[in-house]
Amino acid sequence: MKKLLAFLLVALMIFTVAACDKKPTTDPTDPAPSGSDEVPGGKVYKVINLVNGNLGDKSFFDSAEAGLAKLKADGRIEYETKEMGATDADQPKWQQTINDVASEGTYDLIICGTYQMPDYLKEAATAYPDQKFLIYDDTTYVGENSNVINLSYRQNDMGYLIGVFAAAMTSQTSVDNINPEKVVGFIGGIDSPVINDFLYGFLEGAKATDSEVKVDTRYVNSYADTATAKEMGLAMINDNKADIIWGVAGLSGNGGAEAALETGKAWFIGVDSDQELTMSTELAAITLTSGLKNIGDSLIWIFDEWDAGRTYWGKEVNLGLVEGGVGIVTDKNFAKYAPQEVQDLVAAAEKAVREGTIKVPSAIGDETSGVIALRDQMQP
Amino acid sequence: MLEQLLNSILKADFLFAVLRITAPILFATLGAVVAEKAGVVNIGLEGTMMITALFGFLIAYWTQSWILGVLGAVLVGALLGLMMGFFALKLKTDIILAGIAVNMLGAGGTIFLLNMFTGLRGNTGNLVSPNILIPTISIPLINKIPILGEILSGHAILTYLAFLFVWLMWVLLYKTPVGLNIRAVGENADAASSVGVSVLKVKYIAIALSGAMAGFGGAFMSMYYSQGWNSGMVAGRGFIALAAQAMGRGEPVGSMLSSLLFGMAQALRTKVSGLQGVSSYLVAMIPYLVTVIGLVLYSIGQTRKMRKHSIRPVL
Repeated sequence: MKKLLAFLLVALMIFTVAACDKKPTTDPTDPAPSGSDEVPGGKVYKVINLVNGNLGDKSFFDSAEAGLAKLKADGRIEYETKEMGATDADQPKWQQTINDVASEGTYDLIICGTYQMPDYLKEAATAYPDQKFLIYDDTTYVGENSNVINLSYRQNDMGYLIGVFAAAMTSQTSVDNINPEKVVGFIGGIDSPVINDFLYGFLEGAKATDSEVKVDTRYVNSYADTATAKEMGLAMINDNKADIIWGVAGLSGNGGAEAALETGKAWFIGVDSDQELTMSTELAAITLTSGLKNIGDSLIWIFDEWDAGRTYWGKEVNLGLVEGGVGIVTDKNFAKYAPQEVQDLVAAAEKAVREGTIKVPSAIGDETSGVIALRDQMQP
Repeated sequence: MLEQLLNSILKADFLFAVLRITAPILFATLGAVVAEKAGVVNIGLEGTMMITALFGFLIAYWTQSWILGVLGAVLVGALLGLMMGFFALKLKTDIILAGIAVNMLGAGGTIFLLNMFTGLRGNTGNLVSPNILIPTISIPLINKIPILGEILSGHAILTYLAFLFVWLMWVLLYKTPVGLNIRAVGENADAASSVGVSVLKVKYIAIALSGAMAGFGGAFMSMYYSQGWNSGMVAGRGFIALAAQAMGRGEPVGSMLSSLLFGMAQALRTKVSGLQGVSSYLVAMIPYLVTVIGLVLYSIGQTRKMRKHSIRPVL
């Protein structure tokens, strides 16, 4: 009986392995994406958006969806969105889904995004070299597949705008909770190039706006430890009289907002998506604005370029303010609390960066460690 | 720079922060103490805290009552303890493996559960409202005292409870029959069994208590410390508790002191990180450095004591 069972199991395993193995080897010849030979420009692209989660996140996925919806409304693409779910039970199906979609070969472009997808994407992109892919907010395998575009976002541009805003705001003592001390805070996740890229822009923006402004920079050393982030926020507020805190630390960034709320002496600024929409009412009420990664706008930009005959297959596209890849939330609390002169300053800074009169330095690949020197110099 | 550091440390809010940081660690440490006393190693404290933090918050959200949330977290903690006990004592798994399983459940399973119950991913986002958070209380009279009042008054109810539990745990272990049984089973299970103590029952009680303590810690994390739950939020506090238990020689009061040491190290780290030109990597090391120094000092003390004892018979 036991032997029989063992045989059956072995047979099943061999069968499964064989079945799994077969797919990538037989299918790559299959996809001859319809219309891929056509001359680009003015054509209606067929696009599928693979969401590794669900819509309704009020963040990246919704932003991508909005961008695609706009493209569709303008008659430039046909698209469908597949919500793959984000639970541990869903994750094993992601590979299957992306492979299936690629093997159909009916789409001009398969879109996915976030740090969770590159491994799945790489496998599919290698197995189906004729299929075109795009991944947003990830640069793990740039250039390894000549059929993939990696979209990344210039967080230093975003940081610059936030820096200008925070530095201008911190001397507006007529606004609630703003004290005469010109100190703002920056809670970073980890002292790493990506986080310091946000910081570099932030420091430059603050310095350019008001040279007396100090920036209290602290790192949580974790993207999940909200409680420690809160302690750091409290220390900034209590010891250095920081009145505006920018949290760039993943989930733990919210700790900065909680510190601001608990003391009732400071404001918070969110990052990546409009955090006023995702946080609780109380926390949202003290969030002045958020630095944005505009996934939707960046997708529109890519199709603009595609129509114009410029393609970026196999490359990283680093989208800054000029391309609409990053931005700052200017409605809700921003419009409500920021005095007109502050709003004008932010608009002017945005224009200057767009027009190229201001070049925001980047901490990524910066050998001179300019950001570290500046950080220490501006620490109160 | 030193002056700046002293200015930020020699303030009431530094010691206030020490107590606040210590509280969740202390809860878990007491959980480790009671389990260890019964000879059960509960390394699942970290996972238990993650899971109870989630359930405490969710129950508080569903019932819109923070008290029910805390009680729910404690109950879930006790059940998790019993579950570990069932696997380890009844089904004879290695208790360490059962603990690791709970920790993994705490890391990954919680994200799944949150998504299942609320459809949210990663954190509880906008489900939070002030009425489901553990309130802070200002103690009459004490809050009038300058400095001391600022340090002791205005904490969350659970912070006071944590320190009260140190005393209660001592009473339980040293002044009650249950405590005597727990210690007896921990010292020598066979001897305890030979005089009619149900070893299994005592171990179940101890590990359930241990889980319940971690439950308080979990509730503290998601319903006061951080407003709402997010994945990974316990961030090693359950493991620090195990170290605190060992450093405190498994005694309630000693463990409280070592928890306070960890709390202080963490608070110090927050303050030092605000200084000019200090590497954030070095700063992040402070809590661990304090642990190592603490353990070295402790073992030096132990060796000296042992040497004294061993010399006496010779003389």
